[in-house]
Amino acid sequence: MAAIIKADGLTKKFGDFTAVDAISFEVMEGEIFGFLGANGAGKTTAMKMLCGLLLPTSGKAEVAGFDVFRQSEKIKLNIGYMSQRFSLFSDLTVWENIEFYAGIYKMQRKEIKTRGAQLIKELELGNQRNRLIGALPLGIRQKLAFSIAIIHEPRLVFLDEPTGGVDPITRRRFWEMIYSATEKGITVFVTTHYMDEAEYCDRVSMMVDGAIKGLDTPARLKEQFGEKTMFDVFLHLARKAGK
Amino acid sequence: MKHFGIFIWKEFLHIWRDKKTLLIIILLPIIEVLLFGFVLTSEINNVSLGIRDQDNSDWSGELIRKFANSPYFEVVRLHDAGEVQSVLQSNSVKAILEIKPDAERRILAGESGIIQLLLDASDPNMARTIEVYINNISGSYLNDTVNLINLQPLMYYNPNLKSVFKSVPGLMAVVLMLICAMMTSVSLAREKETGSMDVLLVSPLKTWQIVIGKMIPYIAISYVNIIMIIALSIFVFGVPVLGSMPLLFLFSGLYVICALSFGLFISTVVQTQQIAMMISLAGLMLPTTLLSGLIYPIRNMPRWLQMLSGIFPARWFVEVLSHLMLKDSPLKYYLEPLGYILLITLILLLAATKRFKLRYD
Repeated sequence: MAAIIKADGLTKKFGDFTAVDAISFEVMEGEIFGFLGANGAGKTTAMKMLCGLLLPTSGKAEVAGFDVFRQSEKIKLNIGYMSQRFSLFSDLTVWENIEFYAGIYKMQRKEIKTRGAQLIKELELGNQRNRLIGALPLGIRQKLAFSIAIIHEPRLVFLDEPTGGVDPITRRRFWEMIYSATEKGITVFVTTHYMDEAEYCDRVSMMVDGAIKGLDTPARLKEQFGEKTMFDVFLHLARKAGK
Repeated sequence: MKHFGIFIWKEFLHIWRDKKTLLIIILLPIIEVLLFGFVLTSEINNVSLGIRDQDNSDWSGELIRKFANSPYFEVVRLHDAGEVQSVLQSNSVKAILEIKPDAERRILAGESGIIQLLLDASDPNMARTIEVYINNISGSYLNDTVNLINLQPLMYYNPNLKSVFKSVPGLMAVVLMLICAMMTSVSLAREKETGSMDVLLVSPLKTWQIVIGKMIPYIAISYVNIIMIIALSIFVFGVPVLGSMPLLFLFSGLYVICALSFGLFISTVVQTQQIAMMISLAGLMLPTTLLSGLIYPIRNMPRWLQMLSGIFPARWFVEVLSHLMLKDSPLKYYLEPLGYILLITLILLLAATKRFKLRYD
């Protein structure tokens, strides 16, 4: 398996403050990569550098084979992005949101029609097609946002706390959607605060104070730190940093 | 470019779905023009003018008839000196004309102080306007009858001194600034506030496409407003457009882009829609209204305020508009204000791109 993300000594400084401190890791094609860390540990900053939203201070990184310093426009065509903070435009209808995102990712009109219709069928939103997003429950909005984020079939999708504020059943269904996306060959890079979700990932990295303090499969991480659950692993690392 | 088109379409949808705001930005200019045109005027109509005629000749009788026949005045005859004071004080007249005895002969003899004008100057602008009207009527009469060498004022470009001639350009400057600057800054701040800006920046859309895409719908709305204001002022208030209409639309477009750049700049400094709105209202609208010359003449301001007014493009746009609408001046007479508008636009765009980069690179 080839690496779709390669980070080597990736660093971001804001003035004197080092938000991300020389992190190095690889994400393999087709895997679900969990990117964990407490608030303020530097997850979002690291993710923004990989998406091309922030320019790194130093280090090297490649996403989908393109350099984050020089080829961010090419990276953009190969990735999808979804964040918990924003899910779709609430004053646009379901179909208009689909059309918009598919459109800005340069999909052809015909393709948008067939792919959009298929998406609506899968989510069973047939009779909600022309409803405003604002009128839909959060759970449906999040699932729709995920489907739209991968409508252009990117090689890699970044999910920034995608299940925040969603009930457990919807979260479960959301993860089923993530699994079926990986079956289509899409690599998933996901940040989360839910430790049960960390168990669903193929590999997990733990970020503390801007550095990666653990990176492995959930099973081996638990073994390495002598803890029973991912939750305990997280506490183990985060507490150590607090001291 | 198709993906850019769909982005612009999305912006139109946002505006279209927000019916209340849309209604305000369409109706606001109409209401403002009607308000300034009908209510906040400084021209005069049916002003009561007291006349005390001590001459009682055919000559003075004809002069009084001139005033009585004019639509601007309603003549009140006064008889003694005591009355002269009391009617001014009681507000029953705004001005008094006193014709001294034996007026015609004494004027021919070259004496002065034969006709005296008393004005209620508690409203100085009003008093000045009345004075001009009275001088116009009496001056032309004196010229006709006694052939004196007399200063005959001719009011160029706005013979009836209608204030709507001045307020239309001013209003256009203010309304366009309000709509363009506030709406774009709020709309960009909303994308930031909800987080959708990140989603847009991660997409293949280029930064300039996001910025220009935000501007285009408001340019379209601005032109709707410009057409409405011009139509209203021509058909309701009889304000002429003597200069070239294409040039008027072209330079209005430049001003609109300048106002949009203000909005863009504001959006790069703020994080929320509310603050964007506050800054555009307090920091931009107030100075634009007060310093554009719409309400207070710029020439009467202290020097430092005059300099300050130069920062706000409205002042220059008002100048360009009055050249284009009222004077039909050749381009060279208003090249300078046009240059200032262009300069302000460039500086704002430069500053905005710089700040935009700081935030997202």
